[in-house]
Amino acid sequence: MVELSAPSRLPLPTHGPLAVRARRFAEVARQVLRNPTTVAGLVIIVALLAMAFLAPLLTTPNAPDPYQMPRDWTMRDVPPGTPGHPLGTTSTGGDVFYGVLWGARTSLQLSVIVVSITVTVGIIVGSLAGFIGGKLDEILMRLVDVFLAIPELIFALAIAAVLGPSFSNIIFALAVVFWVKYARIIRGQIIHIKQNDYVDAARVTGDSRFSIYRKDVLPNSITPVMVQATMDMGGIVLTAATLSFIGLAEAGLAEWGVLVSDGQAGISAGRWWASTFPGLMVFLWALAFNLVGDGLRDVLDPRTEGR
Amino acid sequence: MQIREYILRRLMILPLIVVGTSIIVFTLSRVGGNPIAIYLEHEMTPAEVAEIEERYGLNDPLPVQYLAWAGGVLTGDMGWSAVSAQPVTEALLDRVGATLELATFAAIVAITMGVGLGTFGGARRDRLPDHLTRVFSISGASMPIFWFAILLLILFWVNLGWVSIGRSDPIIFATIAHPTGLYTIDALLAGSPSAFLDALRYMALPAITLGFGATAIIARMMRSSLVEELNEDYVDAARAKGLPERLVLRRHARRNALIPTVTVIGLGFGFLLQGTVVVEIIFRWPGLGRWMADAVLRGDQATIMAYVLFTSILFLAVNLIVDVMYAYLDRRVVLGA
Amino acid sequence: MTAPAASPPSRATATLVVSVQDLRVHFNVKAGVVHAVDGVSFDVRDGETLGLVGETGCGKTVTARSFLRLVRTPPGIYAGGRIDFWSRDARRTGAGPVDLLSIPDREMLDIRGDRIAMIFQDPGKALNPAMSIGDQVAEVFFQHRSEDLIGDHRQRVPRMVRRASRQVTTGPERIVLRLPPWRSQAASLRRRVDELVAGALAETQIANPRKIMDRYPHELSGGMKQRVMIAQALACNPDLLIADEPTTALDVTIQARILELIADLQQRHGTSVLYISHDLSLVRRMCDRVAVMYAGRIVETGDTDTVFSRPLHPYTRGLMAAVPSASQKRGELVAIEGNVPELVDPPPSCHFHTRCGSAVALCGQVDPELLEFDDSHRVACLAYASAGELGVPDTALPLVERTPR
Repeated sequence: MVELSAPSRLPLPTHGPLAVRARRFAEVARQVLRNPTTVAGLVIIVALLAMAFLAPLLTTPNAPDPYQMPRDWTMRDVPPGTPGHPLGTTSTGGDVFYGVLWGARTSLQLSVIVVSITVTVGIIVGSLAGFIGGKLDEILMRLVDVFLAIPELIFALAIAAVLGPSFSNIIFALAVVFWVKYARIIRGQIIHIKQNDYVDAARVTGDSRFSIYRKDVLPNSITPVMVQATMDMGGIVLTAATLSFIGLAEAGLAEWGVLVSDGQAGISAGRWWASTFPGLMVFLWALAFNLVGDGLRDVLDPRTEGR
Repeated sequence: MQIREYILRRLMILPLIVVGTSIIVFTLSRVGGNPIAIYLEHEMTPAEVAEIEERYGLNDPLPVQYLAWAGGVLTGDMGWSAVSAQPVTEALLDRVGATLELATFAAIVAITMGVGLGTFGGARRDRLPDHLTRVFSISGASMPIFWFAILLLILFWVNLGWVSIGRSDPIIFATIAHPTGLYTIDALLAGSPSAFLDALRYMALPAITLGFGATAIIARMMRSSLVEELNEDYVDAARAKGLPERLVLRRHARRNALIPTVTVIGLGFGFLLQGTVVVEIIFRWPGLGRWMADAVLRGDQATIMAYVLFTSILFLAVNLIVDVMYAYLDRRVVLGA
Repeated sequence: MTAPAASPPSRATATLVVSVQDLRVHFNVKAGVVHAVDGVSFDVRDGETLGLVGETGCGKTVTARSFLRLVRTPPGIYAGGRIDFWSRDARRTGAGPVDLLSIPDREMLDIRGDRIAMIFQDPGKALNPAMSIGDQVAEVFFQHRSEDLIGDHRQRVPRMVRRASRQVTTGPERIVLRLPPWRSQAASLRRRVDELVAGALAETQIANPRKIMDRYPHELSGGMKQRVMIAQALACNPDLLIADEPTTALDVTIQARILELIADLQQRHGTSVLYISHDLSLVRRMCDRVAVMYAGRIVETGDTDTVFSRPLHPYTRGLMAAVPSASQKRGELVAIEGNVPELVDPPPSCHFHTRCGSAVALCGQVDPELLEFDDSHRVACLAYASAGELGVPDTALPLVERTPR
């Protein structure tokens, strides 16, 4: 147990539950930052976020839709290092650097949307299952089992495929596939707490079930949910890129998977840049979130000690 | 006795899960998708469209449609695969050999390399080989297969010319009979070394690419369980008997560390299955994954449903086998307390 | 009026099996360097049972493990001293001792399990759960008695089989060994080992050794497992047996049987035994001599009866007083005040002085040496030291009652 004795330099309140939370947060942050690989992951994430936010500033947004790759038939298949195209261009003249930056933007939006949906749905379903219990719990858990029975990619692939190729269908498919883990986490927490004596103690003092939920279940679930969400930020982009690579997104979209797929044809002719750079971005994105998620888990989940 | 119950219970749940999965995908396809699209050619008159809808039962209520499909599956008729212009069942059987062969080799690669790397790192805890192993593991789990495959192709195919794309050299392929559909086995049965080598040459890169993700998670699990085992008293007791370190590692620590690692094999197999789609696309491998990819692009629902069904059954079966194996091994390993 | 000062130890006249001299084992931890064993010296004589006694964390297990160099050397370091060992052969031929801390690894492997054996505290954890009993005990014979196994083969024994007897086969060799011509030789090898194993198990009074050999550890009771451990340890008739709290994990009823067994086997084979324990009553029963350890150092050694009835060191006295006995009045429990000190980079001082009722200023400045009080009773306390030799006035030494209680 590390001592919470260092005075905080931020203007935080010094008393009350908020202060305790803030101190614990600072403590966790400190421990997380001790791990060099986690810090590396954070650095990469910051860089990626910067790319996403600065895309409209670092490149000229394509009109009418900046999320479509620009086409320039005069500058096709230009290698990296050419003035104006540091990473080269694609076979339709799209600037790879543009694709990299706007792809980051796309990925950010995608992962935030999907994570928000999945966490919300997962918490709701998990809470219902845990709280109400009985038949509803059984049914919902069987449902969860069904969802977990197929590998994520294949499930998402099937769903996106039957709905038709479009990026919003990819988002939908991912949301359908990725919510289950959160449901399990929340339900597990509720069951665990239900079996604990202190719920009875709280009931004796008159707390309603809902306030127990609010005060005990939710705060205790935050950490595994946070770890899972961080890992999912990486996994979602990875899966989405794979789906777009296979062809389930609109053609010409400024998205990394699409770019890698479009760049395939040029490989045999030695035009490596159109696929390599966007693919590298997917890797870095997934790697960064995995590193941070791992680091978080090491700090927050005592059971995985010694890894 | 407990094992038997365990297996029975899992076996009973399996069909329920498969049914559940197929219902979800089926429903989404009928409700959100356009199942008829693939059967329509150019411009058809509304009458022709209506006739096709009637033929494929697309006007019936959803449960009826599902039962019709399910009934068909049980009798071996899964519809018509438009992307391969043959009945789905036939198309599946034609391609399953290629994918199974690739997946098996990839699994062999993943298990041998994963266990080897995990042991290498775990035995030298916190020293350089260990750090390298951990870096490798994390990269492996984050690696987009399509990117990795392309990088390998750029290196080994474009630049070095060591490998080729596809499953075989058509000329050599035609020289032997193919009773099993597995090129390597058929080559051995026919006693043809050139065919065997041909098979391996084409399979090497796809198998390595496919196995990469699984290698990473197996290595990671092996490393951490080896580190745990090396902390146990019986390892010190073995040393106290005068056994040389490599024997202690091999016969005591590593053997016991393999047991928990088995649990990751199911997960690794999932990685493998997912990867086949992408790998078969990039390496032009004529298997189920490529078939699915084509179906996905063209909206061929019948094929998609068949692929999902096949894959989920396979995945569940493998996981069941792995879990049973672990329960069996674990029974012996369970300590008295 | 001052009591006779203790003098430096004289050369013991009994035959020594082990002589630990100023052993130091340190551990590198984040907080610094922990001196887990900080200058430990004691002897084990031929045929005797020496008890190494002390509370948890005093360094007795680390000391014991050092004999076989089993301390994990990333955090641990053998920082000094020697452990001189005279094997039976060495004593017979008059050859000198070997220093267990500095002999090459190959020699250490030969000694482990053969000349010096160890049994561990929790037999459930010290046996490989995935290996049968027979296989595990057989390992010892394969490792150290391989010549005996192929000894009476008149004809030339193929090299492969020879290697099998020493457990150095490679993968392909193991496959070949299953084939007919070698298979029968490998099988007879196996049969011979099994005989030896059964013999070793029978010695520990295990009924039906053949059946037990096929079992797995989790199928046996705690007492059985410990018998197996003992059988394994004594299989090659070692010169020294190190028993690290061999009965702590066992039921009280079984404890006595195991202790009897060890004593019996020891008598029969003339093995010397080093008992590690925190259980004073056990030590009193089983050990000829005892060494009391505190915070990484030996504070007192001597014959068991002497040390128990006339303890010299304040710590030892505290220990003896703390053991509840029938003669005490009800409601009187004596505990030693204070806590075991942190052993990180300790300055020169007596490690017990912060808890010692008789401590004086000097106790916090000087390391007390283990000095001979009278014949074979040694104590490390400034109260028994010679003021003259330390260069301090008499009044600087602490005072301890000569006859306790």
